[in-house]
Amino acid sequence: MTTANASAARAAILAVQKGFETSGYIASDGIATAVFLAQALSKPILVEGPPGVGKTELATATAALLGKPLIRLQCYEGLDEAKALYEWKYGKQLLYTQVLKEKLGDLMQGAEGLKQSLARLHEFDDTFFSEEFLEPRPLLKALWAKDGAVLLIDEIDKSDEEFEAFLLELLQDYQISIPELGTIKAVSTPTVFLTSNNTREIGDALKRRCLHLYIPFPDNRLEQRIIASRVPALTAGLREQLVGFVQSLRGMDIKKAPAVSETIDWARTLLLMHATELEPELVRATLNVLLKFQSDIELVDLEVPAMIHRASVG
Amino acid sequence: MTQVLSNFIQVLRAASIRVSTAESIDAASALNVVGWDHRDQLRETLSQVLAKTPEDKRAFHDCFDRFFTFETVRGAEASAPSDDTDAGGQPQMPEAGAGGSGVGGGGLAELLEKGDSAAVQQAMASAARAVQIQNIRLFTQRGMYVRRVLEQMGIEDYDRALLAAARQQPAAPAVARMRERKERLLEDVSALVDRQMLLYTANARTALREEVLQKTPLTRIEMSDFKTMQTLVRKLAKRLVSLHSRRRRVAKRGQLDIRRTIRRNTGYDGLLFNTVWKQTKVDRPKIIAVCDVSGSVAQVSRFLLLFLYSMSEVLPKVRSFAFSTQLGEVTDWFQSKPAEEALALTLKTWGMGSTDYGGSLTELERLTEADLDRRTTVIILGDARSNYGDPGAQALRRIHERVRRVIWLNPEPRSFWNIGDSAMQKLAASCDRVETCRTLLQLERIVNEIARGAG
Repeated sequence: MTTANASAARAAILAVQKGFETSGYIASDGIATAVFLAQALSKPILVEGPPGVGKTELATATAALLGKPLIRLQCYEGLDEAKALYEWKYGKQLLYTQVLKEKLGDLMQGAEGLKQSLARLHEFDDTFFSEEFLEPRPLLKALWAKDGAVLLIDEIDKSDEEFEAFLLELLQDYQISIPELGTIKAVSTPTVFLTSNNTREIGDALKRRCLHLYIPFPDNRLEQRIIASRVPALTAGLREQLVGFVQSLRGMDIKKAPAVSETIDWARTLLLMHATELEPELVRATLNVLLKFQSDIELVDLEVPAMIHRASVG
Repeated sequence: MTQVLSNFIQVLRAASIRVSTAESIDAASALNVVGWDHRDQLRETLSQVLAKTPEDKRAFHDCFDRFFTFETVRGAEASAPSDDTDAGGQPQMPEAGAGGSGVGGGGLAELLEKGDSAAVQQAMASAARAVQIQNIRLFTQRGMYVRRVLEQMGIEDYDRALLAAARQQPAAPAVARMRERKERLLEDVSALVDRQMLLYTANARTALREEVLQKTPLTRIEMSDFKTMQTLVRKLAKRLVSLHSRRRRVAKRGQLDIRRTIRRNTGYDGLLFNTVWKQTKVDRPKIIAVCDVSGSVAQVSRFLLLFLYSMSEVLPKVRSFAFSTQLGEVTDWFQSKPAEEALALTLKTWGMGSTDYGGSLTELERLTEADLDRRTTVIILGDARSNYGDPGAQALRRIHERVRRVIWLNPEPRSFWNIGDSAMQKLAASCDRVETCRTLLQLERIVNEIARGAG
């Protein structure tokens, strides 16, 4: 039984990987497994890793793969329910009360005394706090999406701890509570991604509810495949050299190691400059695409010829 | 199957990966979906469900490799062609469980005769599971578990058969072969038990050691344990830092303070023009740490200073002084040098001679004149043994009048205070708190209170 299970799961994971590849996102085994598991267990994925390895990109690619809309919530310090979940449409509510006031005369016609008018008022539906006056923000939008959605909660580490706690209900049961209305359940379970750059430790409670996917810098082979898919016009020889160079750069003691997105940028830059192979002058001139600190650039500058040599040989 | 999973989770916990019950359940349901058969898939799945920090991931992969290991048993026949070590062997997978306890005595003889190393391995693994080897804790239990595994595999019947055969034809080559096979099996089983023990008790020793160290009087800690102590101090300090930095964030928030808003705006005819927000202010306390670095107290001083400087994130303003005969400031050393170096330098420079509390406290008052205010906490660490000289009660009283609080930490047990040349009683009059501070646990508690800023 398990054998059938396992091979079915294997096939599904490979299918996910293939699907990503057609949309230009090269996923490692781990990434594909995570996406498959998230679907199978309907659990959110917490994605961690250094900046620029494609954490956000993963959500976009998944949305494309599943053919569902991507709803994105960017976190920042001070983000609260009103911006993340819902807001009342105050303006409309005001108008509604005014309309009600005008209609009040008609309504109360024939009522005797205050008691009776109140009773009549109570018979009336309370639409003041109802879904009609609810302005959905990303989280609520994701729950309301009829055919499901991919919800990306980006850089959760930038938000406050209160917000993290507030997310727990959503992540656990795919529902949220609005005090005036009660509990709102997801129409269809959204696929949820949370990303974190680890500027602060994420709480255990949140981690417990998620699958945890750590995306490291890709290895040489994977990075070459990524470049090949993203910048197909680049010749194979140059691609090999370029990836080798970046890989050795990551091994150096620099402030900010270049990420995949920077490798892609650099590949595009080299393409624009009609480069056919890495030359010291060319590399020096374009080093600022890869490195974002002057001190790093100065450090690497001296080593460029040796590194090119190594990248071409190795 | 669930047994294997829960054993694996136990191994992870032994390697100090925190796995909650909820996560165990998740792991089980994830495995229902992906199955056990594909090794990489299994590894990825479990790592995503069970290990949730980069450090945990590293430890996880290590455990995974050791737990789901490809073990090989040498073929029973030394000369048999099946003796190739790399071809044989099977991952210690759950499917092995089926054959397990069914292997009887005759079964064992047959099994060994066949020389199928994979089958032997499977039988061993399932026997080990049957005797619940995951409960092994101590080195001394090894023999017992080896015996139990062998019994589970049916060694008794095998022995009987061997004995009977030996009686009939003591010199027959078949008997010798049987003996040899038994020897091999014994070796393999003890190797298995050893491996399992390592797996399940990986971290138990360090954990126990740390627990003991926390409760050992600081003066009695051996030089060889200093390294462990330092990591331990950092660990404790890190915990306190995360605790207190969290609180600070909350304190930044405010609610409208209506009472004060109305009062402030009476000038505008009651229109609420200027808003006043409620704010819980958390005082970041200024700390002046004064450490006796003579003789035995030096050991405790070392850890107090280490503790305070490990917490520089939440305690940014620490000035430290060291004294024995004379007093001097050591703040710069601790801020610019690694802790060990700064400590060594401090002890070398100020740690000579007999303690003079009177002179040192007067000197302290002079040096810290500008910093003595209502936000300052003065921590004095010393045994208050002034060699029958002036204990400096006057100077301490003057300091006490100007600062928020004075905490005296005495490494001696309470019963030793005020005996001999200890002037604790006189000095205690000018302290807000006097505490015994003998172990790391006590030290942690005190630093915690200081960081909280609560009086």
